[in-house]
Amino acid sequence: MLRLYIKRLLKNKSGVFGLGLIVFLLLMALAAPLLVPQDPLQQNLKERLQAPSLLHWLGTDDLGRDLLSRLIYGSRVSLLVGFIAVTLSTLLGSFVGLCAGYLGKWVDSACMRAVDILLCFPTFFLILMVIAFLEPNIANVMIIIGLTSWTGLARLVRAETLSIKERDFVLAARALGLSTKRILFFHILPSVSAPIIVSATLGVGNAILIESSLSFLGLGVQPPMPSWGNILTSGKDYIHFAWWLSLFPGLALLFTVLAFNLLGEGLRDVLDPRDQS
Amino acid sequence: MCAGCKPDSHHSQKTSAEPAYDDSFIESSIGDASYLNPVLASDSASSSINGLVFNGLIKYGPQIQLTGDLAEKWEVSKDGLTLQFYLKKNVLWHDGQPFTAADVQYTFERLIDPEVKTPYSSNYEKVKKFEVLDPATIRITYSEPFVPALESWGMGILPKHIFQGARGKEFNQHPANKKPIGTGPYIFKEWKTDEKIILEANPRYFEGKPHIARYVFRIIPDDAVEFMELRNKSIDTMVLTPDQYQAYPEFFEGYKKYRFPRAAYTYIGFNLTHPLFKEKRIREALAYAINKKELVAGVLLGMGISATGPFLPLSWAFDPEVKDFEFNLNRAKKILKEEGWTDSNQDGILDKEGKKFEFTLMTNQGNKMRSLTAEIIQDQLKKVGIKINIRIIEWSTFIKNFIDRRDFEAIILGWTLSPDPDIYTIWHSSQIKEGQYNFVSYDNPRVDMLLEAGRKTFNQKEREKIYKEVHRLIHEDIPYIFLYYPEFLPVVQERFVGPAVVPLSSFGFGWNFDRWFVPKNLVRYPVMAQE
Repeated sequence: MLRLYIKRLLKNKSGVFGLGLIVFLLLMALAAPLLVPQDPLQQNLKERLQAPSLLHWLGTDDLGRDLLSRLIYGSRVSLLVGFIAVTLSTLLGSFVGLCAGYLGKWVDSACMRAVDILLCFPTFFLILMVIAFLEPNIANVMIIIGLTSWTGLARLVRAETLSIKERDFVLAARALGLSTKRILFFHILPSVSAPIIVSATLGVGNAILIESSLSFLGLGVQPPMPSWGNILTSGKDYIHFAWWLSLFPGLALLFTVLAFNLLGEGLRDVLDPRDQS
Repeated sequence: MCAGCKPDSHHSQKTSAEPAYDDSFIESSIGDASYLNPVLASDSASSSINGLVFNGLIKYGPQIQLTGDLAEKWEVSKDGLTLQFYLKKNVLWHDGQPFTAADVQYTFERLIDPEVKTPYSSNYEKVKKFEVLDPATIRITYSEPFVPALESWGMGILPKHIFQGARGKEFNQHPANKKPIGTGPYIFKEWKTDEKIILEANPRYFEGKPHIARYVFRIIPDDAVEFMELRNKSIDTMVLTPDQYQAYPEFFEGYKKYRFPRAAYTYIGFNLTHPLFKEKRIREALAYAINKKELVAGVLLGMGISATGPFLPLSWAFDPEVKDFEFNLNRAKKILKEEGWTDSNQDGILDKEGKKFEFTLMTNQGNKMRSLTAEIIQDQLKKVGIKINIRIIEWSTFIKNFIDRRDFEAIILGWTLSPDPDIYTIWHSSQIKEGQYNFVSYDNPRVDMLLEAGRKTFNQKEREKIYKEVHRLIHEDIPYIFLYYPEFLPVVQERFVGPAVVPLSSFGFGWNFDRWFVPKNLVRYPVMAQE
């Protein structure tokens, strides 16, 4: 089955492009210390705001730090936040959705009302509110994004669970006397994994954008640690005379989010049960 | 020093044209005003508005000399203990009521009201007797000589009839603090929180109706956006950062650009009640570890000089004998080692008794120079094994939640200095309470004594000696690390005629704003057309 999915994914051009880009980004983030031409934290005030050149391929920032090196290190932050936050939201959303859909009754009502309440708040403002009470740092940013981005997935998993729990294999499992935990995690969860994977992939791009927005507002990753969001923030002050500080982190964000969205779309096509032929 | 005082303009002014009683002047600020009440306000945004809506009894003229404002004239007794003000007659409040001595008395009573949240009360503590001799004459007697007495009556005078005798907390929360009535050249019209404040020319202003019909104060909480607005000609003036000042010259076509020394300094302030900064030796190590020359070059691009104390180098209070802490990493490391701070676990950060040398350096959002300064200092102190976490916070939250409540470890901020070197409110130990200016909790009995003495003596030579010692002592105690004196780099739309610079003063070029005008042929935002 997995081989079939891989085969189908490889036929999906945009999905392959997205996957390729993500693999490239991951390798870049992992090998950052080997790849960077200069120390991303090394200030050199004599070389501040240098335009792209052979020495500094993407130019330097307002403290003379090499922009390419900072972008490469920034990819670590973005991907780390993306993956951790989405892992958290996926675990939480899947668990709530499974419980609500399978157990029904008051559990379903309670979970869905909680989801409804959370959905009443615009997610970004909810995150801003929470972070206002906490120290802004990378760990808090990951946790907050994770804890506020699970509601959509919970609804999706609940809907899938509701339909799957009436299927014969689940009824058979219940008739055999299997525990609820076993039915939930070994029988239903694998059946709803396709939408979870798609949602998680799309969620990474979203989480990266939220992190960048928070860092742009000064509420995310704090200096001197580079993040694409805080590089963009410093770039906006010089947008009239140092365009490279805004353009390159913007492009990095664009291509990363695009890669995750393309892969997500590709996976959706590949895993769609209506298209099994 | 004054070489840059003349505007660096690309076009000559068309001053010969007839002035219009029209047009709008649009200014901006990174933060909103807090109180439109000069007794309560302590921030620069509020002061900008209050300065146009209210008048004091006296004001500073272009030669940094005191002249009459609401006072026609005044007399000072030979012993310096009594001031007698003769008020201008026929001055009207914006609502048409006449201004009288009772208004001055009411303002004075609020300034000394212990329940009124004013940072200026110490200027009026020495008043022994306040007498209203007639509706246009006031006599103020001081219990002892008080040098800043005359200057202190530059405080904006409030309308007694509007406040209807409100006192204490009632005064602090009075609706007129948001909707002021003054005697000044501009009448308050509208305040949209965090958006804008609009004033309109006062047709009955006692010094003549101002030419600029409308003053718009826009809140733009970011330097970069402000610069973009200037580029789009949506605002008429702003204070440039050194990078902006050096931007491409075509940008400034149609603007007058100024560069001149400013009576202000930027500093790192330590919370002296915090265990990390209680020890002077630690602060001394930090002072040696900070390279101010690098800050002046990297942040100010050379448009400023490094600072050694709370006075400007051209002030008579400045002591040139005070030698700055020369940047010396080895000396800093040595002091820290002597104080028991070592890197026992080789992680690059010093520690002592299991505690790392780590602190949070806060500054306000929207000020690029301060955030750059913070990052450079973070890098400099890392070299001696000190870890700094930077927090950049929105202006009003920063002041209300962190500065006023003394909830900080170290901060980067700046002070603008008044012409008289009396710095009692910033450094005297009686000014440590919440909302007052000695938020670093500096307490040196000798400095207290000198600051009190500096307020008592009229002898210039004696005052010079006093303030020079204050300079030396504060420098030695290191409650602040005085970083630099930045130059003032304002730019103003060329259609305005009248901006005149007063270097080394705290009032920049806006001191004569009520006399500015736009020639008729250059009016850009005719007020009637907007309505």
